[in-house]
Amino acid sequence: MQNNSLNRYTRGWYFVLPGLIAMLLIVAFPLGIAARFSLHDVFLYDFNNQWFVGLDNYLRAWSDPLFLNSVKVTAIFTVANTLGCLVVGLLVAFLLSGKRIRFKIGWMALFLLPFVMTPVIVGITWRLFMWEPDFGVINQLLGMLGIEGPYWLTDSSTALFSTALTNAWHLTPMAILVLYAALTTIPEETYEAARVDGAGPFQTLWYVVLPMIRAHILFVSIIIMTSAFREFDMVYTMTGGGPGRSTTVMSILAYNRGIANQDMGMANTIAFTMFMIMAVVAWLYIKVYKVNKEASA
Amino acid sequence: MSDIRNPLVTTGSPNANASNRRGLSHYQKGRLLLGGQYAGLTLWLIVSLLPPVILLAAAFNETAMFRSPLALLTMSEFTLANFTTAFRAGDFWFYFRNSLIISVAAVIISVVVCVPMAYGLNKLRPRIRSGLSFAVLAMRFLPHVVLALPLFLIFVNIGLTGSRLGLLLAHLAIHIPFAVWMMVGFFENVPKEMEEAAIVDGCGPWKLFWTISLPVVRPGLNALAILVFIMSWNEYLFALFLAGSDAQPLTVGITRFMGGVEAGAQYGVIAAYASLIVLPVIFFALVANRYIVSGMTAGAVKG
Repeated sequence: MQNNSLNRYTRGWYFVLPGLIAMLLIVAFPLGIAARFSLHDVFLYDFNNQWFVGLDNYLRAWSDPLFLNSVKVTAIFTVANTLGCLVVGLLVAFLLSGKRIRFKIGWMALFLLPFVMTPVIVGITWRLFMWEPDFGVINQLLGMLGIEGPYWLTDSSTALFSTALTNAWHLTPMAILVLYAALTTIPEETYEAARVDGAGPFQTLWYVVLPMIRAHILFVSIIIMTSAFREFDMVYTMTGGGPGRSTTVMSILAYNRGIANQDMGMANTIAFTMFMIMAVVAWLYIKVYKVNKEASA
Repeated sequence: MSDIRNPLVTTGSPNANASNRRGLSHYQKGRLLLGGQYAGLTLWLIVSLLPPVILLAAAFNETAMFRSPLALLTMSEFTLANFTTAFRAGDFWFYFRNSLIISVAAVIISVVVCVPMAYGLNKLRPRIRSGLSFAVLAMRFLPHVVLALPLFLIFVNIGLTGSRLGLLLAHLAIHIPFAVWMMVGFFENVPKEMEEAAIVDGCGPWKLFWTISLPVVRPGLNALAILVFIMSWNEYLFALFLAGSDAQPLTVGITRFMGGVEAGAQYGVIAAYASLIVLPVIFFALVANRYIVSGMTAGAVKG
């Protein structure tokens, strides 16, 4: 059957429309408002007074050390999360996919727990019981090794590391489950062939397996990257953006500017900048993905 | 999920003894590798489970403060008092009601709106489809704060701040792109031949969707419902902006409780409160992990 007549026959638009209208109303329209406010001076609880200022907010943002700092913090946070989750996720997925490993579904179910746990609770749990300097698990374990651990969350030199590690703990299951699913699609013959050619386990992993699951690695990197980029809940409950500005990611800065400083124009400017960065990421992802698909086809 | 192959494990092929270089028999090497694999998995399991387990232990112990969390695991001072305090002083049921109503409503609306949309997207002309898919993907990556700020402004204007309806709408703004993207992945598994055969037999558009395609994506519906519920249940940022004082969910409840005078620094009560909040999502992970996995991987293989 011709593809076009199938399209017309199945009336795809009728099915798409309700969702599309909903998305226009509750996603696209607010986005437009955000774009509009980013070009205005507007203050909380005083929305009737708005002044159009053009790109002034953006120029102000890019010369504001606090904003530039938040960009840096967010970048470190995001990259650390993505790399950490990928490496650990790949390792665990590879171990779990071993032929003689039993109770795979049971392992996977337990590995999922950090991911489904409410981010706010993850933040509270790690703050009270893991990073706590005197009694927390981390410093207790370090103490057994004779090391005196730092004041993780209240020391501005370790706070970003601690929050990033906590967030990576929360996101790693995502990498494990996607990469594990990818590994299960690789046929036995591939491993046989690699072995016949004399490749050891790690050569097989690096030269044979990784190229085959490239698309999945790309997918999971993007998902982890975008989640880490926008993270608010966990960092906010752990440090509130501090100490100082050491963990003030862009989401927290936007919140502070909008609610605490009541500068809704600047808040929307920061937020809309985040949106534009993510739109570019989405666009790149689709580009790279298509190249990838054609290359592997 | 079963029948997994891995190069780390040598199978019992007859010429495998050729790799016997270090004086270990092939069998011993295999055991050693398997042991190493289990050790690695166990190590990660401990890392994964330690925080939630300590949270639970703290909830069931009398004094959680000024004690090593590791010592709590012995459960030497078992008590349920923390939970009664959390219920009483923490206003648990008020927040619970808001969380539950919003999450359930979000699930129902997401299913009703997103499943047809994902189905219909696959039926549009390729150019329109890829354009819309890009829009959905870009929205799926949207940082939540980008929506929270303008929605706050809009809701102030139309009087929706502090209402569950407003909070629900904000949740849906996140769920719809996510759910559509995920369900498109499931609908791609519906064999084209099956639909074409049904059309030849005179099946109408609605019947085609309802009786041919939908049954194939049933597992996807479960995945969608569970994931949307978890996302709504866990949500915090929108609540912070939009919930006012009447629509606050549990995530706001616990942060308020922590800051309040009743909590002081009673780690045990805070842990009890937190345990109650994560209980439903942990239940889903343990019981319905199959669907969570299939849902999270659904978007992985398409373009």
